Amino acid sequence: MKQGDIFEIPFTVSEDIYEGFIALFKDENPLHTDEQFAVSNGFKGRVMHGNILNGFLSYFIGECLPIKNVIIHSQEIQFKNAVFINDQLQFKATIEGVYESVNAVEFKFEFRNAQAKIAAKGKIQIGILK
Amino acid sequence: MLLIIKIKNVSSIKNNNMTKEDILQQVNEVFIDVLDNEDININNETTAEDIEEWDSLSHIQLVVAIEKHFKVRFTSSEIQSWKNVGEMVDCIQVKAA
Repeated sequence: MKQGDIFEIPFTVSEDIYEGFIALFKDENPLHTDEQFAVSNGFKGRVMHGNILNGFLSYFIGECLPIKNVIIHSQEIQFKNAVFINDQLQFKATIEGVYESVNAVEFKFEFRNAQAKIAAKGKIQIGILK
Repeated sequence: MLLIIKIKNVSSIKNNNMTKEDILQQVNEVFIDVLDNEDININNETTAEDIEEWDSLSHIQLVVAIEKHFKVRFTSSEIQSWKNVGEMVDCIQVKAA
């Protein structure tokens, strides 16, 4: 992996993922579960939990890199546009820096929705285990 | 606070004339930021033993932040050779020159 390398993955916030997230973490806030409540608050429908995207990030780091001996050191994410059920997101991560002295790699990433608007973006730093 | 902001604004620019004191002051700002502790006040003799938040994971964050800040790259052997902050500052001064 080297600076400038780009990784792109399509993700869909499926019903299974949404329901699985609620089953696991019990966040049943009406913004996520009540269509009328969400609409009355200015959204077109139930807003998906932002942390579902962190699950996608976990998958990216754990399963999509050319090496498996990795661990997440830190990550930050900003949510820019709400995500709704069955939204298709295009994930793109770019290596911003490789720090061989401490076996660390830093990515910037973004999730774009079908309208090409940024749903979320941020940075993630991983360590490469020896 | 104004002084801190000024330092942050200019300090990421490579400066051939940085003294060890300049570097130490900027490294201190990186430590404060990364370790999220405004009370940190490092000197040349400071080691990880002296700062509670300076553990193995935050050490990686510190090195990455310092490499980015000073636009330098260290080797793992250089890092392992440092006995205190002063030796790190010496290394930065050589690489940033």
